[in-house]
Amino acid sequence: MSTDGGAGGADRDDAGTDATGIDTDTDATGVDTDTDAGTNTDTDATGVDTDTDAGTRHTLGGDAILRIRGLDAGYGDLQILSDVDLDVADGEYVTIVGPNGAGKSTVMKTVFGLTTYMDGSVEFEGAEIQGNAPEEIIRRGVGFVPQTDNVFPGLSVRENLEMGAYILDSVPEDRIEEIYGRFPILREREGQKAGTLSGGQQQMVAMGRALMLDPDLLLLDEPSAGLAPDLVSDMFDRIDRINDSGTAILMVEQNAKEALRRCDRGYVLVDGENRYTDRGDVLLGDDDVRQDFLGG
Amino acid sequence: MGTTEPTVTGSLRDRPGLVIASLFGALLLVDLVAKLVGIELGPVGGSLSTGRLGSNLWNGVVIGLVIGLAGIGLSMTYSILNFANFSHGDLVSLGAFTGWGVAFVVAAGSDIPIRALLTVRAAGNATPGDIGAHVLSTPGAILVGLVVAFVVTALVALGLDRAFYKPMRDRSGISLLIASIGVALVVRYLIQFVYGSGRRGVTASVDASNVAFGPLGLSVNAHQLTLSVAAIALMFATHFMLQHTKLGTAMRAMADNKDLALITGIPAERVVTATWLIGGGLAGASGYLYVLLRGTIQFDFGWLLLLLIFAAVILGGIGSVYGAIAGGLVIGIVFTTSTIWIPSDFNEAAAFAVMILVLLFRPEGIFGGVSTA
Repeated sequence: MSTDGGAGGADRDDAGTDATGIDTDTDATGVDTDTDAGTNTDTDATGVDTDTDAGTRHTLGGDAILRIRGLDAGYGDLQILSDVDLDVADGEYVTIVGPNGAGKSTVMKTVFGLTTYMDGSVEFEGAEIQGNAPEEIIRRGVGFVPQTDNVFPGLSVRENLEMGAYILDSVPEDRIEEIYGRFPILREREGQKAGTLSGGQQQMVAMGRALMLDPDLLLLDEPSAGLAPDLVSDMFDRIDRINDSGTAILMVEQNAKEALRRCDRGYVLVDGENRYTDRGDVLLGDDDVRQDFLGG
Repeated sequence: MGTTEPTVTGSLRDRPGLVIASLFGALLLVDLVAKLVGIELGPVGGSLSTGRLGSNLWNGVVIGLVIGLAGIGLSMTYSILNFANFSHGDLVSLGAFTGWGVAFVVAAGSDIPIRALLTVRAAGNATPGDIGAHVLSTPGAILVGLVVAFVVTALVALGLDRAFYKPMRDRSGISLLIASIGVALVVRYLIQFVYGSGRRGVTASVDASNVAFGPLGLSVNAHQLTLSVAAIALMFATHFMLQHTKLGTAMRAMADNKDLALITGIPAERVVTATWLIGGGLAGASGYLYVLLRGTIQFDFGWLLLLLIFAAVILGGIGSVYGAIAGGLVIGIVFTTSTIWIPSDFNEAAAFAVMILVLLFRPEGIFGGVSTA
C-alpha cells in the first residue's frame, strides 16, 4: 500500500508540473496546425468548408505517413470495417472515437497485421503494408500498445523494455535511458516484475516497450482504460509529450471528450465506417457529434 | 483485529480435509521419530535406523533430480506450446538408448562387435562386465554418452515437432495432446524395433565405488553422485539460459503472453525451436542419467516414468520450470520414504496421494501463478 501511495504521489507531482505543460501544449498544437497549414491546407480547408458541421472528408493531402484507403477487414469471415479511409500525417496526433463495436480497435489491429485483411490498402511511409506480419511492421517503425495484457507480467520492467527491442542485435541502452527519463518510476522499479506494478505503471511499461525502437507512429488502444481517474489526465499528458517529441500517434479512446481535446484531428467511426473527420476541437464543438457520440 | 482468531478456526472448520491431512502428517512424523528412537507405537511400529532414513531421503533426492530434470522440458512445452506432451517419456527412453549405445562404443575394447555396443547389447553376448562402462573406470565414455543423449534427443524432438506438431500449431491443446500420444507410440516402438524389448543390465560394477558419509551412516554411490552433479549442473545451465540470455527472456515472454510476444516482434518459431531443443535435450539427458542410477534399461522405462514426471510437474505448478524441479524432489522423496510404512509396490501410489493432497489445498501447484516459463 505504502509504495503504491508513494508512486501515486510521484505521479501526481508529475501531473502538477504538466499542468502548465498542457497549456503550452494546446497552444503549441494550435500553432502546429497553423504552421503545418502550408502542407495541410486540405484539412484546414475542409475544416473551413464545413464550419458548422463536422467535416466528412477523411483524407489528407500527400504528406501522410499512414494512409488507409477503402479498407475492409475483420476476423475470419466476420467483416468489421467497411471502406475505411484514414490518414495520419508525420508527427500528427489522431484519435478515433465512436460507439462500442464501431471497429475502432480493429483499425489499429489491421494496421498491425492482426486481423483478417479483406480489401483496400494500408500504406506506411509510402510502402503498402497490408497483410504484412507484425514483426515486419515493427521494423518499418510502427509501435503498438494493446489495451489489455500489454506487459509480460513475469518479466522485470527492464526485461519488458529489452523485449521491445528484440529485433535489434543488442540492447539499445540509450533508448532505455530515454524511456527511464520519460517515466522515472520505471527506473526505480527496474528489477521488479511488471505483473506486480500498479495499472498506471504497467501502462508506462507497455508504452516504454513500444517506444524502444523509436517508432515514427505509435498506436495506442484505449490507454486510459482501467486507470484510476486521477491518473487519466497524467497519462494523457505523457502521450502529449511523446507526440511533442515527434512521434505521430493514432489513438483509440473511450474517453472521447478528453481525447478530442488533446488531439490534432479526430475520426468518428460508426458501424465500421467513417462518419466524421475534423480537427479535434471542431468535432468537440459540433452539435451532431456531441449529441450522438459524446453524450450531449 | 479481534477477528483473526475466529477466521483461523473458521477456515479450519471450512476445510476439515486440511485438518485431517495435517493430523495424519503429524501422526506419521511422530511415528517416524518413535521408530528412530526405537519405541514401539501400536501395530505400525518397528524400528528404523538413521542410516536407513538417510539413504531413503538421499535416494529420493536422486530420483527427484531425474524426475525434475525431465519435468523441465514437459513444463516448457506446456507453457510455450500450450499442450501436455505425452511423447516426453519416450524421449527420455530415446536419450538413454542413444546415449548408452555411444558410451558403450567409447568404453569397450575393439573385440566386441560395434553393433552389439550401439544397440546397448541387443545383439551379441557381451556382458556389462565385458564392456565395463562405469563412471570410475571410463568417465570419458560416460560423459560422451551424456552429451550424445542430449544432442540426439534434442534433434529428434525438433524433428518430431517439424513432422507432427508444426502443421498443427494453431490447433487446440487437446488435439496436440492426442497427437502426442500417437507420437509416443511411434517413438516407443521404433526404440523397441531397433534396440529390442528385453530388459538388460547396462553399468558395470566396480569395487569400492561407494563413498561413505560416516556420521549419517549414509553410503553414497559414485553413480548417484555423478547423476546429482550432472543434473544440478544442467538445471543451473537452464536457469542461467532462461534468466540471463535474450533467447531465454524471449521464452519466458512467450510463456507469459503469446499475443504480446507476437506484436513485440519476438520470432515465435525460433523460440519454439529452442524450446524443443532444450526440453528434448534435458529429457534425453535425464533418461541417460536415470539408467546410471538403475543400472538397467528397457524400451518403455521412460513411458513408465512419465506418470511420475507429470505428477511432479503438476505438483510444482504446470508451466513453471522451477516448480517442475521442486515437484520432482517432493515426488522423489515421497516415493522412497513411503517405503518406511508401506510395501515398496505401493510407493507410486503414495507419490500420487501426496500430489492429490497438495492440489486439493493449492490447486495451482507449489509454484503455480508464478510464471517462469
